[in-house]
Amino acid sequence: MRKHPDEYLSGNLTAMIDVVFQLIIFFVATVSLQDTVSDQRIRLAMAPSGRPVTTKDPREVYIDVDKSGQIRIARFPYSHREVAFILKKIVQDNGNAQIPVIIRGDEYARHDAVKNVMDACAAAGIWKIKFAALKERGG
Amino acid sequence: MARKRKKNEMQAGELNLTAMIDVAFQLLNFFVITSHPMTVTTNLDVFRPSPDTTVNPTKPPTVLRIMVLNGGLTLNDQQVSMSMLRDKLDFITKGDKTQSVLILCASDSRHGSLVEVLDLCNRLGLKNLSVISSS
Repeated sequence: MRKHPDEYLSGNLTAMIDVVFQLIIFFVATVSLQDTVSDQRIRLAMAPSGRPVTTKDPREVYIDVDKSGQIRIARFPYSHREVAFILKKIVQDNGNAQIPVIIRGDEYARHDAVKNVMDACAAAGIWKIKFAALKERGG
Repeated sequence: MARKRKKNEMQAGELNLTAMIDVAFQLLNFFVITSHPMTVTTNLDVFRPSPDTTVNPTKPPTVLRIMVLNGGLTLNDQQVSMSMLRDKLDFITKGDKTQSVLILCASDSRHGSLVEVLDLCNRLGLKNLSVISSS
């Protein structure tokens, strides 16, 4: 006797949904948002003596400078004037507080490209900046 | 009797894998979320001199001046290698970690060289580091 088509579909879906939710939780928990906004092609210089980054300020602004001197924020290219304008706006929105700016410069970038970013920070009234570096080279 | 035993053996062999996989995923999630990956990045603090004209120091402070050039370094206008710079800085700043260090960077110098110098100052415990760009 042939089975009714509904009988084929009457499997236990609960277990499948359980596993699907587990996978969603796994990928949501493991995705690193910071990695998506910073340029992974930048080769950071080594600084084995630097203190490891333990605390993160949610206001931190990461500015990438690649080896050709191109400035990027969240992977979007900007000129140094535009960077200055963006930083001024961020400082104004935060009540003229000192915003932590971290420059992720490629180790082969010329200093004048980094200087443009530092000048943009100065124009926005930011005097304390940080340079990102690697404590050890992975893989 | 023999048929009944055979049926019991088959029932004992059946395992509900779904629950086991669920628990395995739960454990995997728990360990992935609670484990902290080793930090490989570091942030080197520097100060940019503020154009504050109200401050008028009565005596000029003693400042160590390191110049980062394209393919070389100088300490107070004397050419040095990285190892020499480490030895000289270690000797000069022995005991005084508040010594101000001014790092001048040539515009055509490599950013990696500046980070190396900053890392060296960090290793020696020097805190008052300022970076200035020179043309």
